[in-house]
Amino acid sequence: MDRAVAPARGPVDPRLIRRAAATRHYLIGAVAVGLVGTAALVAQAVLLGAIVQKVLIGHAGVARTVPLLVGLAAAFAVRGLSAWAGEVAAHRTSSRVTSTLRRQLLARAVGLGPSWLAGERTGELATSATQGIDALDAYFARYLPTAVLAALTPVVLLAWIVADDWFSAVILVVTAAVIPLFMILLGLEATRSASRQWERLSGLAATFYDLLQGLPTLRAFGRADAGRATLERANRELRDETMSTLKVAFLSSLALETLASVGTALVALFLGLRLLNGTLDVGTALAILVLAPEVYLPLRRAGAEFHASAEGRAAAERILDVLDDADVKAGVMAGGDAAQGTGRGDRRHVRLLPDPATSTVRLDQVTVRFPGRAVPVLDGVDLALEPGAHVAVVGESGSGKSTLLSVLLGFTEPDRGDVRVGGARLADCSLRDWRAGVAWVPQRPNLVRGTLEDNLRLSNPDATDAEVVRAVERCGLDGLVARLADGMTTPVGEGGLTLSAGERQRIALGRAVLRDVPVVLLDEPTAHLDTGREDSLRELLAPWLEGRTVVMAAHRGGLVGRVDRTVTLVSGQVVETGPGELDRVGPLGPSGTLGARVPR
Amino acid sequence: MRGTVRPPHAHGPLRQVLRIGAPDLRRFLLGTALGTAAALCTVGLLACSGALIDKAALRPPLYTLTLLMAAVQLLALSRGPLRYAERLVSHDAALGALGRVRLWLYDQVTPRSPAGVAGWRNGDLLARATADVDLLQDVYLRGVAPLATALVTAVVTVGAVTLVLPTGGLVLGACLVGGTATASALAWLRRRRLGNGEGALRGALAADVVELLVAAPDLVAMGRDEEYLERVLASDAELERRARRRSWSDGAVAAVVVFATGAAVVGTLVTATDAIAAHHLPSFMIAVLPLAALGAFEVVLPAADAVSRLADHTEAAGRLVSVADLDVPVVDPADAAPLPDGTRIGLEAAVLRYQSDGPRALDGLDLDVAPGRRVAVVGPSGAGKSSIVNVLLRFWGLESGSALLDGMSLDQLRQDDVRTRIGWVGQDAHLFPTTIGGNIAVARPGATPDDVAAAASDAQLGPWIDSLPLGLDTPVGERGAQLSGGQRQRVALARALLAGAPVLVLDEPTSGLDRPTAARLVHDVLAATEGSTLVLITHRDEDLVDVDEVVVVDDGRVVGRYSPGAGDGTGDGDGGSSATAARREARAAT
Ligand SMILES: Nc1ncnc2c1ncn2[C@@H]1O[C@H](COP(=O)(O)OP(=O)(O)OP(=O)(O)O)[C@@H](O)[C@H]1O
Ligand SMILES: Nc1ncnc2c1ncn2[C@@H]1O[C@H](COP(=O)(O)OP(=O)(O)OP(=O)(O)O)[C@@H](O)[C@H]1O
Ligand SMILES: [Mg+2]
Ligand SMILES: [Mg+2]
Repeated sequence: MDRAVAPARGPVDPRLIRRAAATRHYLIGAVAVGLVGTAALVAQAVLLGAIVQKVLIGHAGVARTVPLLVGLAAAFAVRGLSAWAGEVAAHRTSSRVTSTLRRQLLARAVGLGPSWLAGERTGELATSATQGIDALDAYFARYLPTAVLAALTPVVLLAWIVADDWFSAVILVVTAAVIPLFMILLGLEATRSASRQWERLSGLAATFYDLLQGLPTLRAFGRADAGRATLERANRELRDETMSTLKVAFLSSLALETLASVGTALVALFLGLRLLNGTLDVGTALAILVLAPEVYLPLRRAGAEFHASAEGRAAAERILDVLDDADVKAGVMAGGDAAQGTGRGDRRHVRLLPDPATSTVRLDQVTVRFPGRAVPVLDGVDLALEPGAHVAVVGESGSGKSTLLSVLLGFTEPDRGDVRVGGARLADCSLRDWRAGVAWVPQRPNLVRGTLEDNLRLSNPDATDAEVVRAVERCGLDGLVARLADGMTTPVGEGGLTLSAGERQRIALGRAVLRDVPVVLLDEPTAHLDTGREDSLRELLAPWLEGRTVVMAAHRGGLVGRVDRTVTLVSGQVVETGPGELDRVGPLGPSGTLGARVPR
Repeated sequence: MRGTVRPPHAHGPLRQVLRIGAPDLRRFLLGTALGTAAALCTVGLLACSGALIDKAALRPPLYTLTLLMAAVQLLALSRGPLRYAERLVSHDAALGALGRVRLWLYDQVTPRSPAGVAGWRNGDLLARATADVDLLQDVYLRGVAPLATALVTAVVTVGAVTLVLPTGGLVLGACLVGGTATASALAWLRRRRLGNGEGALRGALAADVVELLVAAPDLVAMGRDEEYLERVLASDAELERRARRRSWSDGAVAAVVVFATGAAVVGTLVTATDAIAAHHLPSFMIAVLPLAALGAFEVVLPAADAVSRLADHTEAAGRLVSVADLDVPVVDPADAAPLPDGTRIGLEAAVLRYQSDGPRALDGLDLDVAPGRRVAVVGPSGAGKSSIVNVLLRFWGLESGSALLDGMSLDQLRQDDVRTRIGWVGQDAHLFPTTIGGNIAVARPGATPDDVAAAASDAQLGPWIDSLPLGLDTPVGERGAQLSGGQRQRVALARALLAGAPVLVLDEPTSGLDRPTAARLVHDVLAATEGSTLVLITHRDEDLVDVDEVVVVDDGRVVGRYSPGAGDGTGDGDGGSSATAARREARAAT
């Protein structure tokens, strides 16, 4: 049946098969073991028939059947062992493929970068990477070997049967030949509904994950019941979709089973009639009777495994789309190195990156346009960052400050224009090398589960204890560390949940300080800090910032006392103003004069 | 299963989960009955065909065979439809049960969020709701029903064989019992060797994956993404190692079942041959007994499989029900008082500890906000400002002291009632991955588009939303990632404004905004909520100009209070320096 259903994503998806190539030895092993099992089955049937013949017709006692009984036992032993070996080989077929797939998917998802991830649903991706790939086990470990066996075993068995009794063989061939027809019809429908089912399942996962995160919000607004209703709906949709998938699968096995039953019954019937006529001996008849269902069995099992692996195949489709689709709107690849695999990384001719410490970093006519937005966020922006320059980026909320930093980081690829480091286009260089010279304090830092110290050291695992302590002091976390019984080894919870917003931000700052890099990008590093703390941090950090190229997005004074230039973003364009205290020079006016009474 | 009232821990996790799923018992029984009938058909078909052939070989007159022929046809034709019906019925019942388990999980997490599940990872909880729940499908499908089916079939087959030939029945019974027992023993041995914990590993993997995806920007920027990915995949490798060993023992179980089948076939053949030689058995029965044995084992096989998976299922069930063991941080009183009418809120000598052995986040804090007053709370980062909100919203309970609404302790009120009075904007408010409008409308079911637009405009989102081609229908992305920081904050604020609660608690609504926007926003919010009680947490001195009172918090205590209107801050708009000065004075005083 396998070759019969060839179109597009038929029973053997070429994209998946290519991946299975890595473990074809195990696949071949699994098939070989399966064939040995089939041979043992034939032996078992023949021996059983011979024994019955001897007892029934030859009136033999136990003593005369002993050799046959021993042979029968041996046939069972071989079958048992081949079942064992088959299980082990099947597992080996899938394990490496699924592990590799998991690694590739995650590397790719991370590699596609924040802009791409922003449009994806974390719960859905995570479920694809875990449960979805686990489900592929059914495809590689079960379906593939059975599909190959389904093509081979019936032929072997029929060859045996036809030698003994061509009439039964004809009945079997005719009934078995109908099976692929059913499989084509039902298989296509099954594939369609399975991918809908996977959509529902991963959608439910995304919903559940999102509800978990949003529960405090829902509770605060008394809408936890709305969340429950959402989940209930997702449940119901999943159930309906699953049932319609299953109906097809069950229908297919009903059809196959009925065919097999009718075929077997017909065989038995005609065997009986010919026994009555005396044209057949009972041993052969019995052997054929035992073998007849086994002709259908591999086909039926392949059909069943095909449906059982539907979820895995549907998940794989989604995963392979992420992996293979070069058109995924990718923002920019994380590493940009060839190692990152497919997609945009491929066309990069990696150039040697000029030393960021001594080269000017330039934005050259950079334009960034986000889908679904009427106007570009950055529209032909030119900006030169000389080594050691301190530049503030200001502008209304939503004016593109973070986007500008994201372009500098290589997270957002400009639709037009270039980022240049010295003479080289960043697009031609390894982004990984570039980022090794850049420290970034994001607007919304992400902490990972672990201790305070783990989170700080994340930016520089080689930092000495003294350096960590200094970083803690420099970003004003010493007070917090002193207050905590476990100090630096206090766990921060998932996402830094056990810290206040300002503390999280200062950890991000500490991460930056731990890295000795020439370029520092600060995205509103003091948004959650009071002015007193801001002032003291500014003093503490001044020596560290000295000599580094600093770009700081800020609404207030921020961390840089005196900036060399202030860049104001207005409607995607930049207006530059000269050196001064940020608070005083921003075109938004000196501090204090824009009180709450300013008219709109 | 359903309707029995028992304490939740009277049973093992599996039975607990079965009870939570509360499968429709009638459907369940129907499914089992259909499955058993189909299984008996399998055994009967094999036995009857054997008898048919044997009899035919003895060349009796044709009419003596018609009954057997009819039986073979009937059994062959009814098996398929029976199994089809059984599967439809039992799968539908099982899927329904799984849905109920998921809802139950949600219901357990809800009263515990966020404080009670703080130690749990969202990715792990997600794995429980998906992978673990899905595993339990097998409990409903392959656990209970096949066991029942297998048991009935085995008993009936052994019984029938015994009637024909007692020694044959004995042999078959012994092989069935021996085979299943050995298979279970192997499964038990594996569990002893590998221990439990595949579910936990899967949960950890899912949680790590989620963390990797969420923290990806930071990790990539620091060049640590590859290393981190390896760390995530460490649990994948461990799962892999276990799966490899498991495939050995799974194979062994399969082999044992085949061996036992062989023993049963050979054994029944020997006993039947003996009996025929002794004329205790008609000779045509020679093929019937071994074929019946083959059939019986075919039915028992899935049950052996179910038994060998029992440990996994128990673990999955345990992972689910253990959520119910977590403390509920804030419990509603049994006889809750009706919600008072007033909107005066406050804290009295409030002491809050996030961990019982941790530092005090609130250390005897007093706060009193009279109805309609606008009070700003300022103080250094980590002072405990957001903790005040956590207590007022009843997300965390106090160690001592009390939180008050209209003079009544919040302990006496239902949490949900209290929250209907309070509109809240968190510091890092969660945006749902729907549209801008959808996020705002969460606050009030049935809000009209105009209401939503008005709230958005009060939150200074108007011109920006007007500039968007899709307007309020623009999607915001995961965690609002397709918006700027300040836009996220304003959407959250619009949500709180839409709620229209008489008390508004805003946790740094302006921290991510530029000065003019922030100023307009504070101005408009104060105007739009005229008459509401307002607690405004802020770091921006400029925000303090229009409030009635400023409360300075440090180290979990109030260290100063002043009203900006009374001091030098009025008139010239330079509220900032006065606030700073007041705070410094206050600090010096303590
Ligand atoms: N991934 C994205 N998809 C679509 N639009 C986006 C995306 N990221 C940002 N934007 C839009 O681009 C504009 C600029 O966003 P950006 O985050 O750069 O602003 P910002 O100046 O940093 O603002 P803020 O001060 O509020 O942080 C905003 O209008 C935002 O909605
Ligand atoms: N869930 C939690 N578990 C343990 N400790 C916590 C938790 N939330 C906050 N804390 C700690 O309690 C203290 C007060 O935190 P809170 O969030 O109230 O500060 P805050 O005044 O709002 O600070 P910020 O201005 O930075 O937001 C901090 O030191 C913080 O580390
Ligand atoms: Mg920003
Ligand atoms: Mg706070």
